[in-house]
Amino acid sequence: MPSASFKDELLAEIRNLRAFAISLSGSVSLADDLVQESLLRAWSNSEKFQPGTSLRAWLFTILRNIYYSNYRKRSREVQDSDGLYARRLTVPGDQESHLDLEDFRKAMTKLPAEQREVLTLIGASGLSYEEAAVVCQVGIGTIKSRLSRARAKLVELLELNDAASDSPVERKVQRVG
Amino acid sequence: MNATRTNKAEAEDAAAPDPKALEAIGRALEAHYASLVQAPLPDKFVDLLARLEGGQVSKTPGRRDALG
Repeated sequence: MPSASFKDELLAEIRNLRAFAISLSGSVSLADDLVQESLLRAWSNSEKFQPGTSLRAWLFTILRNIYYSNYRKRSREVQDSDGLYARRLTVPGDQESHLDLEDFRKAMTKLPAEQREVLTLIGASGLSYEEAAVVCQVGIGTIKSRLSRARAKLVELLELNDAASDSPVERKVQRVG
Repeated sequence: MNATRTNKAEAEDAAAPDPKALEAIGRALEAHYASLVQAPLPDKFVDLLARLEGGQVSKTPGRRDALG
């Protein structure tokens, strides 16, 4: 029987786990099924978790395995049917340079899944290269190369590297209030 | 596509994007992810963990076909 503190640690990771699942599957409803199944599996395998390592990375590994074994085919059918991506969200306007979030989301969906997940794990979920390598079951070199390709592709899709302009980013981001 | 692939290593060196572009992407990514993290959370996950802790759920994860 897992300890009460293990349960609390799981509770603390649910939101991040769900955010990763939505990024991975592109669907909130699929993500919720994935999170549910991952929590069950984590609970029944709690003795396999090594204290001192990242619980987040461990949970992401479980969820990703479930996704690639059972859900991947389904995800394209129901992708974003529930419209969470479509909702416009305001970004705090504290700094001068913000991309249009809707443009950004569209560009993200155009990345290959393997690049999108690495970008999410490292750029947003706060995993280290080493942890991301464990989650994705590839070497660190592959993680780094996927990451740089993902970034380069986003720069291209969002037209942020226009060589004809001195300051493409400013030009691009100023239209966001 | 083929030409790009042939010069992949070269292209990756040349493609070191503008730091400002990378920063903008980094921020957009964080904002996007934060919106997902902060999205309303269904009660079912907290309920599930409470039931697991109370021993009210079988330790064996449900079969996939039970979920459709």
